Amino acid sequence: MELERVCGCGLTAGNGLHEHAGTDIHCTTTIPFMHPDSNLEILMARYQEGDFAAATVLIDRISPQLHRFFVAQFGSRADADDLLQETWLRIHRVRHTYRPGEPVLPWFYAIARHVRVDHFRKAIRTTAREQRLEEMSQAAVTVPRASGQADNLEALLEPLPESQREVIEMLKVAGMSLEEVARATSSSVGSVKQKVHRAYKKLREKMDAMGHRKGRNGGMQ
Amino acid sequence: MRDGEIDVVLEMAARAPHEVERALLKRVADSIQPAMRPVHPLPRTSVLAGGLVLICSAVALAGAARAGFNGFEKMGLLERALIFSTLGMLAWVAATEFVNEMIPGSRRWVSAGALLGMGSAVLVGVFALLFHDYHTDHFFSVGIVCLVTGVLHAIPAGLLSWLVLRRGFAVNSVSAGLVAGTLAGLAGVGVLELHCANFEATHVLVWHTAVVPLSGAAGALVAGALRLRTGSGAPWARRPPMN
Repeated sequence: MELERVCGCGLTAGNGLHEHAGTDIHCTTTIPFMHPDSNLEILMARYQEGDFAAATVLIDRISPQLHRFFVAQFGSRADADDLLQETWLRIHRVRHTYRPGEPVLPWFYAIARHVRVDHFRKAIRTTAREQRLEEMSQAAVTVPRASGQADNLEALLEPLPESQREVIEMLKVAGMSLEEVARATSSSVGSVKQKVHRAYKKLREKMDAMGHRKGRNGGMQ
Repeated sequence: MRDGEIDVVLEMAARAPHEVERALLKRVADSIQPAMRPVHPLPRTSVLAGGLVLICSAVALAGAARAGFNGFEKMGLLERALIFSTLGMLAWVAATEFVNEMIPGSRRWVSAGALLGMGSAVLVGVFALLFHDYHTDHFFSVGIVCLVTGVLHAIPAGLLSWLVLRRGFAVNSVSAGLVAGTLAGLAGVGVLELHCANFEATHVLVWHTAVVPLSGAAGALVAGALRLRTGSGAPWARRPPMN
């Protein structure tokens, strides 16, 4: 899936800026220099018009963020792979609900959250059924976290409750604004701020404890 | 450790590359390719909300036309103006929120529960302001009739509202059901205000207002039941075809 398939006029990966307007031989339109999110909006509009090339660029651009969002929630790349596919199928079914001019990322993340909640519900139902039948150990059913499956950010966010973790993930990884996170989570900006405040408090405690431990270890050596 | 330092740690961690297998991305692209067709985006929120308010008004007027405009005829100018402008405003807010519930990533002005509480409280306030006859006759028998009439008219209002927004997608179906029920309940109250000529304060305060929370709760229950049945979080949205 080469990015050049969509002429590259601002629709390239990376920082998403319009780096070669009119110079690409495939380029049919000239789009002025614009914010990366504007590019996503253009891509989304083309996707709605049935442009498969725009859809593939969107998949390339958005999938790593969504995948990381799921890894942060579940800790398992296999689960994240499944959820990513499920999310894109859902996105495709409801792509008409995106309205041009609205921010794109909250729309994607709102659907991703919905898929994640569905997955949780199914997991709970499956778990309950399996426990009744086999009295499986809790450890086998719960999502495997850490143990080399999650990278640094995910390990860092591990002590946070899910609601705080997703907010930090959206703010720091997806680079969304407070307003956009509020839209994605169907809550108010005030509620998002409160979650961030609580998350930072927990992170501070964790990092201080780590620093304290390191300091003590260092002193003993 | 300060917030700024935590910011730096998080930003550094977030900058670490996160790779997704090319094969997975290709699978995703391949899975949507066969169903790749142009789609029309949903209309603006104001257009959809306007449609919902019109539907609720039409249901209220049709219900009253069938049962009679006794209440409206007995009301004074102030009562008419205050009650129907309040109902109109509440219906507009509820309709807007219903549209927002059905479009992922929309801005929410008020939560579903708060909307239900606010709607009921505003109605109680307006009724308490306008009606002062605290004498009651056949409180339960007459009241139940009004409650049932209101809820029965809320049902078509809710169904027609769903028809308008059937292309939407509720990320939280219970919340969407609660808002839809609230909106439909306001249509039910509209019928009662146009038709019911019983202006006893306790009757209006209890039985007319109760239509809103009852419809809201019914909407949430139906949405929850449908979600359990379909296994999807979006029963309010007809599962759109892969078009």
